[in-house]
Amino acid sequence: MSKVTLTQLDKTYSPGKQDAFRAVKGIDLKIKDGEFMVLVGPSGCGKSTTLRMIAGLEDITGGSLEIGDRVVNNVIPKNRNIAMVFQNYALYPHMTVYNNMAFGLKLMKYSKEEIHKRVSNAAGILGLETMLDRKPKALSGGQRQRVALGRAIVRQPEVFLFDEPLSNLDAKMRVQTRAEITRLHAKLKSTMIYVTHDQVEAMTMGDRICVMKDGEIMQVDDPINLYNNPQNMFVAGFIGSPPMNFVHGTVSEKEGNMTFTENGSAPNALQFGVPASWVDRIKNSGRSDVVFGIRPECIQTTSEAPNSIPFDAKIDLAETMGAETYLYLETDGAQHTMIARVDTKHRYSINESTRLYLNMDEAHFFDPETESLIQ
Amino acid sequence: MAKVESSPVGNIIKHGFVWFILGFAFLPLYLMIVISFKTNEQFQKNPWFFDPIKDWQWQNWSSAWEIVSTYISNSVFVSVLSTSITICIVLSAAYVIARYRFPGRNIIFYLILGTMFLPGTAASLVTTFNLYDNLNLVNSIYSLVIAGTISGQVMGIFLLKNFIEDIPKELFESVQIDGGGHFAQIRHIVIPMSRSVIGVAVIMDFLSTWNNTIFPLIMLRDPELYTIPVGLLYLEGEYVKQWGEMMAGFAIGSIPLLLLFLFSMKLFVKGLGAGAVKG
Repeated sequence: MSKVTLTQLDKTYSPGKQDAFRAVKGIDLKIKDGEFMVLVGPSGCGKSTTLRMIAGLEDITGGSLEIGDRVVNNVIPKNRNIAMVFQNYALYPHMTVYNNMAFGLKLMKYSKEEIHKRVSNAAGILGLETMLDRKPKALSGGQRQRVALGRAIVRQPEVFLFDEPLSNLDAKMRVQTRAEITRLHAKLKSTMIYVTHDQVEAMTMGDRICVMKDGEIMQVDDPINLYNNPQNMFVAGFIGSPPMNFVHGTVSEKEGNMTFTENGSAPNALQFGVPASWVDRIKNSGRSDVVFGIRPECIQTTSEAPNSIPFDAKIDLAETMGAETYLYLETDGAQHTMIARVDTKHRYSINESTRLYLNMDEAHFFDPETESLIQ
Repeated sequence: MAKVESSPVGNIIKHGFVWFILGFAFLPLYLMIVISFKTNEQFQKNPWFFDPIKDWQWQNWSSAWEIVSTYISNSVFVSVLSTSITICIVLSAAYVIARYRFPGRNIIFYLILGTMFLPGTAASLVTTFNLYDNLNLVNSIYSLVIAGTISGQVMGIFLLKNFIEDIPKELFESVQIDGGGHFAQIRHIVIPMSRSVIGVAVIMDFLSTWNNTIFPLIMLRDPELYTIPVGLLYLEGEYVKQWGEMMAGFAIGSIPLLLLFLFSMKLFVKGLGAGAVKG
């Protein structure tokens, strides 16, 4: 197994021309040996391009890529010792499951016995033993994706690459296959790099998550830390469903107390004392305009949390999910809609006014200009 | 959905029309078989229908076979060789044009397509003959192979290029990662997935080369080198009064093509429709 190191990795399409487009902007990323790293971000953020550069399917415009201790910038895909699982499976339609899995090994001139051993082993891991004589058209989506996984496993690569492998599956199959891939990682202990736009997949599967936007890395961290300590508004808003609520406002100090006031001239705009743990940080930033961020589950219907601040809001919409309800709220300022994630003990109606509580222990403050967390 | 009743008269007219068209199309074939078993006298007495089997002239067929067998083997040689070379070139060219972006790619493709609009054999006969003469290929069977190879490429490249473009690129990338180069990608992806389209290109090129009459007529001098269309022309000239042997010769000359089409009909029809619906 191998570590993967990206140093100032850059990809520019049509470099030097008028229509040049920089898809990946000199990123640095160190993936440890045996780690499950997830690259997540919206469409067009450069995650698939990064993965394809690691695979050797895209030329690298700048920077270096190392797999293990080898620089592989100019090494062709077959010599990088990687295996890739594609979004649309990329199974050879005219070959049986067995031959699909054996194809790469045949090209590498492995003996028939070795091929049979590896294919049987992979089929056993993935539950494909009874399907080896079938062709892809006779398989379901989930089965096809398992064959694609099997084709990767038999190669015993240093690094597994996954390019949104669950996107073409239905919701139920997605959950099942997600678990299979996680179990596979635990069993094989291989280095795996997984690309997805789905933050649920990212949070549930990754040892660490690399959040990307517009060709740049926004934050790399383990799922819990990424969720609890987002370093910028993009990560805060991207990770978590529903996303973090953002309120633009200003802070002012009076008699040693710092107060946050929501922007706008509404009479009942959100106003509260800034938690002590944030006062120094905001002072040191030199900013008076800030963005207050709070996650939906930190807006509660009770004041049980020690540092709770009450506020009144009108319910614009209530979505009952079964175990919880999402309340879409209009504050009196009506500058924005906030979302609260509350329990289902109470049934809410549209236009109902209610008192809710902000758990200030989970507050975040961001710089509105740089969108970074105020440190 | 309400069932629409069709009138008996309408059915008779419809079916009658279809049978008329079929009869019209197959009449020459029928007459060819009928006359091939007759002497000239039998033909003049009864040109439209078979005589009783005991009066059939089987020797017409054996005589005709002695003459046309050489022509058939020449045609098979030329058509098979030129079609094989054509398909190799077409596969390679279509693969590169479909898969890769390189400077001048579009220009090259449109130039290839543009050759379809050049004047046909009759207009370029003199220049073509001069060219082959300069290459010392007059009266050589290989001149027909070269001509057949050249003529079959445009349609084949056009058909295959569009088909290959529709093959998901992940399949090719998968072969790349598995360690396969361009040849492996053609062998394991392009050929198996575009079998029907390749079949259409093969059949069309084979037919075109087989039926080519003018070019072999001007190129070949030695009767031992004649292909079927030219041989049958001379057959007509030599045996202008032996209708039975002549028709037998034509019938024998048609058999290889009939067999080809019978065995490849399914592939041909499937290939024609391959591009009709995006799968």
